[in-house]
Amino acid sequence: MTTASFILRNTLRNKRRAMLSALSVAVSLFLFITLQVTLRELTIPPEDIGASLRIAVRNKVSLAQPLPFRQLQKIEKIPGVEAVTPFTYFGGLYRDEAFTPFAQFAVDPIRFTNVFLEAKTSKVQMQAWIKDRGTCLVGVDTMKRYDLKVGEKMLLSGTFYPVDLDMKIVGTYEGTLDDRNVFFHHKYLDELTDDPGTVGTWWLRAGSAEVAPKVVSTLNETFANTSAEVRAESERAFQMGFVSMWGNIKMLIDSICTAIVFTLLLVTVSTMSMAIRERFRELAILKAIGYRRHELLAFILAESLFLSLLGALIGAGGAAWLFSVVDIQKLSGGMFIFFEVTTKMLGTAFLISIVLGVLAGIAPGWSVCRMSVVDGLKTLD
Amino acid sequence: MLPVKYNVGNVVLRWRSTLATILGISMVVAVYVMVQALAVGLQTSSANTGDPRNLLIVRKGSQSESSSVVNLEQYRSLRYSEWIMRNEQDQPMISTDVLTLVNLPRLNDQGEANTMVRGVGAQGRVLRSQVKLVEGRWFTPGKREVVVSQRLAARFENFGVGDRFKTGPDWLTVVGWFDGGNSAFDSEIWADADEVRALFDRDSFSSLLIRPAGDQGRAALVKQIEEDKRLQLLVKNEVDYYKEQTMTATPIMWMGNFLATAMSLGAILAAMNTMYATVGARTREIGTLRVLGFRRRTIVLGLLIEGILLCAIGGVLGCMLALPLNGYATGTIGFESFSETVFEFTITPTLAMQGIVFSALIGLFGTLIPAIKASRTPVIDALKSL
Amino acid sequence: MKPIVEIRNLSKVYNQGEIQVTALDNIHLDIECSDFLTLMGPSGSGKSTLLHIIAGIDHQSSGSCKVQDLDLSALSESALADWRNQNVGFIFQSFNLIPVLTGFENVELPLLLTRLSKKERKRLVDTALELVGLEDRSHHLPKQLSGGQEQRVAIARALVTDPALVVADEPTGNLDAESAQQVLEILQSLSNDAGKTVIMVTHDPKAAAFGKRSIHLEKGRFEKEDVRAS
Repeated sequence: MTTASFILRNTLRNKRRAMLSALSVAVSLFLFITLQVTLRELTIPPEDIGASLRIAVRNKVSLAQPLPFRQLQKIEKIPGVEAVTPFTYFGGLYRDEAFTPFAQFAVDPIRFTNVFLEAKTSKVQMQAWIKDRGTCLVGVDTMKRYDLKVGEKMLLSGTFYPVDLDMKIVGTYEGTLDDRNVFFHHKYLDELTDDPGTVGTWWLRAGSAEVAPKVVSTLNETFANTSAEVRAESERAFQMGFVSMWGNIKMLIDSICTAIVFTLLLVTVSTMSMAIRERFRELAILKAIGYRRHELLAFILAESLFLSLLGALIGAGGAAWLFSVVDIQKLSGGMFIFFEVTTKMLGTAFLISIVLGVLAGIAPGWSVCRMSVVDGLKTLD
Repeated sequence: MLPVKYNVGNVVLRWRSTLATILGISMVVAVYVMVQALAVGLQTSSANTGDPRNLLIVRKGSQSESSSVVNLEQYRSLRYSEWIMRNEQDQPMISTDVLTLVNLPRLNDQGEANTMVRGVGAQGRVLRSQVKLVEGRWFTPGKREVVVSQRLAARFENFGVGDRFKTGPDWLTVVGWFDGGNSAFDSEIWADADEVRALFDRDSFSSLLIRPAGDQGRAALVKQIEEDKRLQLLVKNEVDYYKEQTMTATPIMWMGNFLATAMSLGAILAAMNTMYATVGARTREIGTLRVLGFRRRTIVLGLLIEGILLCAIGGVLGCMLALPLNGYATGTIGFESFSETVFEFTITPTLAMQGIVFSALIGLFGTLIPAIKASRTPVIDALKSL
Repeated sequence: MKPIVEIRNLSKVYNQGEIQVTALDNIHLDIECSDFLTLMGPSGSGKSTLLHIIAGIDHQSSGSCKVQDLDLSALSESALADWRNQNVGFIFQSFNLIPVLTGFENVELPLLLTRLSKKERKRLVDTALELVGLEDRSHHLPKQLSGGQEQRVAIARALVTDPALVVADEPTGNLDAESAQQVLEILQSLSNDAGKTVIMVTHDPKAAAFGKRSIHLEKGRFEKEDVRAS
């Protein structure tokens, strides 16, 4: 028997309690991780590969307000602008679903490919799309989800555009962070809506990361005091704008996480103390035999750390495993896409469990150290 | 059959060692109540909206009023219908509303959010009697004036009476505040419909609000609109329409229930652990009771009562912890409206009761197995235990 | 008169892991009414096991044990519980009082299983406490009582349902000499004056001297029997 096996056997002497303690730590850390992942999903949109060069331009009033098409001429003339495309959100409904989990955008195909460089499509499909106004490109995720094939129809009923779309799928794209969208011809939309001469937003690609900020400010200045003032911002800022609309959600989730950790602490400390108190007599005997105080403390800490780390492994590890194998996108109806457990989250979870283990062991450990051998032996277990 | 004092006395006696469990459960219940209060608050304001006499008309297939489009032609075809009630000036009680979103900064650098601007038709205020002016005056048609919800005014910059804010190139002046009676209107800015159409370049409306002439009129109107395939309009009771806009509250309720389940699992494990330990310390005592003639199920019942009592105390404590949040006003983005939706955390007595029942259930499930196991120990083993 | 306890060919065997232990081996015993019997022997001799079987908290493996002409092994768990309540009084080495209840309430405990009214219960409890001389400490909690006082409360509890049988498992093991004396004298008077049958397990010969009859057990069998002139 080694010291390690002695500690292990002690920890497992009451298997039920050990399991219950580890499991309650596991459940709480699982919850902690889930909340953190949800928070991340909702508040920090992932960084796209071309993102730092892209700029979004919307009407200063709000996203709901369109921009006049004639702005295109002025935009192209701004130095630093490599490419610009109209980008209008259609927001249609697919197949009688109450909630369609993919977005559809009307764009100018050639301009679009110059702005969103990372979207990959075969040359053939791209040519087919450009040639025919009544066609569209669909992201591979949506193709998979609805089991669609190239050549089939894409029918969408409009919600804020009082028109319905009837298009043919001629190609797919992939390689972006959101491979669910449908891209079609802006001219097709214009035809259906009697050409109001507007677009939803402009998306640009700047020449380099250095000129991008200048491009943004120039855009804002160019259209200041016109009938359609703009808000130009980097893609990142645009995404963060959505985030800020959530308001205090982040605070809410953080508070819940704090409550969970605190509760966890309480419960673990209490359980450990109960376990130690039961063994006072036995610990007194060890002391009588010659074990030093710091050695006893080490025993106790080792035990509580073992349990809390085991709990972290089951709970945090379990969450990481679960979210990697389960299709969250499907389960949440498209509300959550990535649901990724980052190393930082795992690290925090394990850190919490270590702190937990130490704190849980210290209180009873302290009283064990202070007790005299005689008192300990007198204790009727 | 066991004396009440025995069970209660034991709970009191071991309060120190079970304090942690009580506090733990109180936190679980507090979190549950708080999250549900959020959902209840959101639901309350949407449920509370509208006049049961009114009918709301939007475009078929639109998911919200702000994304609906009703054009002039459709309006004209309904306007002089005999089924619409007339007011004293013999004008049809129908309001043509225009809704749009304006992106504005919140107070205290809390970022920007979309706010809902409703351009109300001439009859709009009359048809919506739950909205009352509380400060300043109503807007003058023809002027760039707005009246904002008092609740919104508390959250956004430049919403004081007399202040001005900019949308695009235009300035709007706030001339008054209204109270929407804890409804969806409390998240809106109201202006004159024609003014809104001019400002935001709209040649159509978003919705029509109608007061039909009695129940007969309502039935007839609904029939007429639903049967006319050319119209492509959806007609609903105003109250029902708003009640059905629940997609913002639903995920929150879902999250609340998920949290509750997960946390209660953890709480049950913790309660079990505590119970096993307590019962373990009382094995001899339980053995004595059985020797004296007390039945196993009497003992199990007594232990259950202890466990439930303990956890219920935690539940009450948890409700008290959550209570300060009641009435706290805040806002977030509404799912259907895509604009700032203000609401108050609402803790109803039902919700508090749910929280306590929830804690009692934790007590029940956490105590059941340890209690049964304790009572099953053969009497002699129990007596022999140290 | 018929013996209150009749034991024939009684054996008790139990499993300790993989080994089979014979606690009692073919015991044959009659106990008369109002007897004060002490069971003695080294640890592991089976004396406590025998006591437990007679008191209805353990079952034999083979043979029969009849108390008041009733075959205990034929009774169901609940019937046995009821029987114990009315017919057996228990006294333990470690007192086994309920810490959260007062002396009065501890003594009252067995009566809660009967249909007696509160007034009747009070009368019986007061009587029992008087018998052991603790009527003025009845409202104290066990932790406020000395060891001897605790044991006397336990005796009062054992007597409160007026059982025919009183069993005691090392009742003086945790007491000082004076308290032990007191307790043993009470047990004696129960047998002599109150007509109860007292069976006591002890390893202390001085305590055993208080009894009328003494049996030694070793490895589950009777070794020796002393009968004292009463």
